[in-house]
Amino acid sequence: MCLGIPGRIVEIHDTQGLPMGVVDFGGVRREVCLAYVKDEIQPGDYAIVHVGFAISKVDEAEAKRTFEVLREMSQLDELKWMEGLAT
Amino acid sequence: MTIVCPTPVAAIDRVQLGHGSGGKMSAALLRERFLPAFRNDILAQLGDAAIIDVAGQSLAISTDTFVVQPLEFPGGNIGSLAVHGTVNDLGMMGADPRWLSAGFVLEEGLPLEVLDRVVHAMAAAAQEAGVLLVTGDTKVVERGKADGIFINTTGVGVRYADFAPAPPRAQPGDAVIVSGLIGQHGIAIMSAREGLTFESEVMSDSAALTPLVRALRQRVGDGVHTLRDPTRGGLASALNEIAVAAGVGIMLEETMVPVPAPVSAACEMLGFDPLYVANEGVLVAFIAESCADDAVKALRAHPLGRAATQIGRCVREHPGLVALHTGVGGTRVVDMLPGDQLPRIC
Amino acid sequence: MKYLSEYRDPAVARALVTEIKRSATRRWVLMEVCGGQTHTIVKQGLDELLNEAVEMVHGPGCPVCVTPLEQIDKALALASRPDVIFTSFGDMLRVPGSECDLLAVRARGGAVKIVYSPLDALELARKHPDKQVVFFAVGFETTAPANAMAVWRAKQLGVKNFSVLVSHVTVPPAMMALLESPDNRVQGFLAAGHVCTIMGWTEYEPIAAKYKVPIVVTGFEPLDILEGMLLAVRQLEEGRHEVENQYVRSVRRDGNQPAQDLVSQVFELVDRSWRGIGPIPRSGLGVRAEFAEFDAERKFAVDGIRTAEPTICRAGDVLRGVLKPFDCPAFGTLCTPEHPLGAPMVSSEGACAAYYNYGRFRNGAPV
Repeated sequence: MCLGIPGRIVEIHDTQGLPMGVVDFGGVRREVCLAYVKDEIQPGDYAIVHVGFAISKVDEAEAKRTFEVLREMSQLDELKWMEGLAT
Repeated sequence: MTIVCPTPVAAIDRVQLGHGSGGKMSAALLRERFLPAFRNDILAQLGDAAIIDVAGQSLAISTDTFVVQPLEFPGGNIGSLAVHGTVNDLGMMGADPRWLSAGFVLEEGLPLEVLDRVVHAMAAAAQEAGVLLVTGDTKVVERGKADGIFINTTGVGVRYADFAPAPPRAQPGDAVIVSGLIGQHGIAIMSAREGLTFESEVMSDSAALTPLVRALRQRVGDGVHTLRDPTRGGLASALNEIAVAAGVGIMLEETMVPVPAPVSAACEMLGFDPLYVANEGVLVAFIAESCADDAVKALRAHPLGRAATQIGRCVREHPGLVALHTGVGGTRVVDMLPGDQLPRIC
Repeated sequence: MKYLSEYRDPAVARALVTEIKRSATRRWVLMEVCGGQTHTIVKQGLDELLNEAVEMVHGPGCPVCVTPLEQIDKALALASRPDVIFTSFGDMLRVPGSECDLLAVRARGGAVKIVYSPLDALELARKHPDKQVVFFAVGFETTAPANAMAVWRAKQLGVKNFSVLVSHVTVPPAMMALLESPDNRVQGFLAAGHVCTIMGWTEYEPIAAKYKVPIVVTGFEPLDILEGMLLAVRQLEEGRHEVENQYVRSVRRDGNQPAQDLVSQVFELVDRSWRGIGPIPRSGLGVRAEFAEFDAERKFAVDGIRTAEPTICRAGDVLRGVLKPFDCPAFGTLCTPEHPLGAPMVSSEGACAAYYNYGRFRNGAPV
């Protein structure tokens, strides 16, 4: 129910007291409200954006760790999958 | 068991925007309101252009009306679009476009410099496509009645004896080939719409496809069974129409569909599916299996077709239905949308 | 796209599918709460891939589907007023009310505009001071902070012609209502990752404990869903019933505090009726008295509109996961996306529409 996609904070500014920023989503850029992440983020960080608001900072360390676990599992399983294909 | 529901089926007694989006509502409007009134064999073909015979010469005639907002967008304007659209409809029936007419409805208050830009773009597009604008008409309506400019173009093209691609000719085994990257036009338009604006480098791909059609005719000839330019409703709608017209099933490979990264990114943001986003410079071709490689090579030899690739094939199973093998190994149906694709929050 | 494409890796997906099948000693019944998760599952064909190990039951996680008929009718009444520009997220436009939908109202001359963000609606109000701009504030807890900010900002800037029609719902009461239902078959949940990004997961701990169901906070990409399912299956196999977080790159236990704070300032918990399910106490959000001037219901006196929901409607059974869309006799015949009988067929996130559009391919042949 919540289309939230990750984007990279390119620039931060203040619009009449409201923290706003320009976020880059893989080449597409949009103004996003940063009020809910303002103490955590700086340009270069990634955030999850929902309806024009950053709702969380992407925890890159956690993301990397999980992904490595998944990748490892897939390498072990790749062999089994290939065996399965051969039969 | 009776189904009682809080939502009675809404009776539609008026035209809605969805009727113009190229999806199921458009098809229903055509079927229920227009076709019964204008019954004839030529119209019944429902191709991109009508095929008529004049003293032994086969000609194609097509008409299209352009109402795009905004009038000017990254990569073109309503004028260049009006030329490319009709030129391409003729090309999809295998014809060489030769002559165009143009009818303009101008809104009171339209700045003349905008009109100039539109007209110059049309002239440039016509020259590049090798077509002559031979007749036209202009009307002006009161402020508020025409969204700036509406343009209708009608085109006539000349067909070749041995080259007759048509929707019903697609058959099981055919390769489904797309001539370039998809989704660019629709996203370029979206990025300029009020309430949704975003910055992107996506430009409309609006272009005359005549050189690609010529390349296919010369290299593959009768092996070209069907051609279609996937405009409103995108690739998915065009493929559905052909699947139904030819009574074949279509199986696509998700990983083979060429979506450029910025289009993909914009679609993620808006919740759009690139398969349903409009294109104005791409064609999809149904080619006899044995000629598929040649067809791709012929397309790639031209700058407009550099990214040409096979994205699927026609199958005997599930006639009339388009299906897709997903990236992660599942399968799903690619249906026609009822109306416009709506940006979503879910 | 970074932090998106990696979570669609086919090799890893295959590995997860294999692992889920290997771990399940019996077929478990799982529910994903969120419409966005339903969308991914059906669009990628994940439920079909895992059919033997897991039965996926789709929950009421589509705010569009569960928005009560009454709120739609209020929206239609407001949008029909000549002095109003009615703004909304795109997915609300085709949801039918008692007589028609917002698209029909637009066809009849109403000013109805799609916006991407509630701040865009506020901006529209500032640009058109001669009109009243009303924003349809629909959503779960994920969207509440954005809608709250629009209201708070309107007050701060002294904007007089902006108001919101609220139809917010919250997840935990709905989950509990489902679990209390005598015909509940769901054994484990994939909780909504973006709802929990805002709220954290503390509210789910008592639910997991009381009803003895594993709850895995899950993201939205194919690998997220598969990993979430794996974690849920493992818990079920091991007889555990805890709250676990799969969506670690976005969700922390306490959620987003500033967002929660602003939501409590602008909104308060109210009783809310869920379309097809019925009233669930304290399951929705309403505008607080301090911000009453921004509450469209009070401002335009549409709070008197009452619409009765008939007691029999299969949409409710689908939303509660008791009935599969394709088991409904009307599915695909009387009820299709062009002529929807109920909300789950209208919304592209609704289970019925997802199945109609994507899932008609079962066992390799279309249904």
